[in-house]
Amino acid sequence: MSDVDPSKKVADRYLRREVLGEGTYGVVYKAIDTKTGQTVAIKKIRLGKQKEGVNFTALREIKLLKELKDPNIIELTDAFPHKGNLHLVFEFMETDLEAVIRDRNIFLSPADIKSYLQMTLKGLAICHKKWVLHRDMKPNNLLIGPNGQLKLADFGLARIFGSPERRFTHQVFARWYRAPELLFGTKQYGSGVDVWAAACIFAELLLRRPFLQGSSDIDQLGKIFAAFGTPTTSQWPDIVYLPDYVEYQYVPAPPLRSLFPMASDDALDLLSKMFTYDPKVRISVQQALEHRYFSSVPLPTDPEKLPRPAPKKEPKVPDFNPHEGPTVLSPPRKSRRVMPGRDGFEGIALQGDKDDNNVGDNTGKNDPASTSIDFSIFGLQPPNRPTINSADRSHLKRKLDLEFQQPE
Amino acid sequence: MATNFWTSSHYKQLLDQEDVDMVNPLDKEKGITLEDFKLIKIHMANYISKLAQNVKVRQRVVATAVTYMRRVYTRKSLTEYDPRLVAPTCLYLASKAEESTVQARLLVFYIKKLYSDDKYRFEIKDILEMEMKILEALNYYLVVFHPYRSLSQLLQDAGLNDINMTQVTWGLVNDTYKMDLILVHPPHLIALACIYIASVQREKDTTVWFEELRVDMNVVKNISMEILDFYEGNRMITEDRISAALNKLGFRS
Repeated sequence: MSDVDPSKKVADRYLRREVLGEGTYGVVYKAIDTKTGQTVAIKKIRLGKQKEGVNFTALREIKLLKELKDPNIIELTDAFPHKGNLHLVFEFMETDLEAVIRDRNIFLSPADIKSYLQMTLKGLAICHKKWVLHRDMKPNNLLIGPNGQLKLADFGLARIFGSPERRFTHQVFARWYRAPELLFGTKQYGSGVDVWAAACIFAELLLRRPFLQGSSDIDQLGKIFAAFGTPTTSQWPDIVYLPDYVEYQYVPAPPLRSLFPMASDDALDLLSKMFTYDPKVRISVQQALEHRYFSSVPLPTDPEKLPRPAPKKEPKVPDFNPHEGPTVLSPPRKSRRVMPGRDGFEGIALQGDKDDNNVGDNTGKNDPASTSIDFSIFGLQPPNRPTINSADRSHLKRKLDLEFQQPE
Repeated sequence: MATNFWTSSHYKQLLDQEDVDMVNPLDKEKGITLEDFKLIKIHMANYISKLAQNVKVRQRVVATAVTYMRRVYTRKSLTEYDPRLVAPTCLYLASKAEESTVQARLLVFYIKKLYSDDKYRFEIKDILEMEMKILEALNYYLVVFHPYRSLSQLLQDAGLNDINMTQVTWGLVNDTYKMDLILVHPPHLIALACIYIASVQREKDTTVWFEELRVDMNVVKNISMEILDFYEGNRMITEDRISAALNKLGFRS
């Protein structure tokens, strides 16, 4: 590779096709790899105006993806500089899990859900085995390839963990997928945060809508407690030591069954173990994969046979920017208001009904006001991202949360 | 992370000593000998450490930067990749990869402060251009394992984790980056060699502990010998010898 003039590589090897989208740190376009005949997605990494060289987030992604080679993790097949910009080449992915969940023409059988969850957990297991926390698990970061394989993508927030005293920022994950310990401001967390997010995705597959849609961090905790009851110190002894811990009014947990009427007993058992409050007690990804849910009937669907959205749709690419959220399909606030209560429609939701409420519900998922508040600041000036420290971030974050709460 | 070393890119990239000790043909033409090559790398490792002290980054960042620099020169020539620019750029890249970013302009500032010599004069844009070239030379592999983590675990296991032993061994590990050991040996073996040297020097009896470890003691002893040889030879390194070696390269002035 080093013998070839790298600047000729785009022309020499990759035939440029249409632009697929604008990512956090540059344009993503489709291309044909003339060497293999494969379609690929090329991410062109913009050099920051701040004169800080190769984008920090991109570098993180390169660093980790070079170590993580697995069928359930997006493959970084090549990287090269071209005209002063770094280009990353990924295998081309047709769609993502969010599109599958949102597509009302798709019926997801219990076996299909099991298959998608299993692939998600398998990808995560490799990350955790290599001491990598993904920290940004959500359906649109789970890409689906032409053979139905689900792959974890977007490692821009991922980090190597494993040294116990190292402190991390708690401002990770889109809010709806954030574990309670993060919402309480912990800086020392582990693989449990990814498990919680995977549980949210599991729930989303069952319900066909995001499960816990908080509009602020405080509201997110409220939504979590409404679903699982306010955690007690007997359930989670360390809770009182968390930096942002505040006592919440006690709410009892409704039976889990009432939230997921269509789920099997095994599914509910696994779900409850993944949604365990105390991160020390929460099931690990490896244990989750060994849970009887995956060995009991129906067995997970063969990935090739999984239902996928009709191919006409705009294809998804790795890191189709998750944080900018410019693709609002309908007025976000409005769509949130028409959102139905939790009870009442999950039973039918699984059958892919055409209820108007659900339409509003789905578009609400792209709502930048509810998912991207903390990131919108960085969206304007991506190069700033690494220089804002976590103290600044949480300060800003709190301020924003307050401002957003008042008018409501 | 030691358990995952065996599946890492670092492990797959370990080289034989002969491959590390290959002087690039382009450099040979300029009269660079293996000795010169080693001297320049020692000098650059020191340079990285000095810069790092000024910009205040963790030792781990220094270790990663030196490893990058050494890896680059197993594939690229000193002639084409000016070590005086490669060294600070490796520190810059390592600081990003190790999540403790140092601004390029800060590096430029301290380079000027440390070396008034014009040959060390670089601008931000030089560093950024070199960053891209280094990434390519490293084939984009950025995760490096170091002996530090295994060191503290091993010291504890051996019951040698008193301040004195910790300091001596830590210092020894730091010094191993003046050699190419990190390119050749798994980090935990380097850590063991440092413990071995320190325990011999401090007259701690670790024979039983070492015997119970399931490692190839021959390798550990070889690494220890190499470290001791380095200390032996280190006394002979003078500024003059380093400048003589660098002058052979005859860069832009």
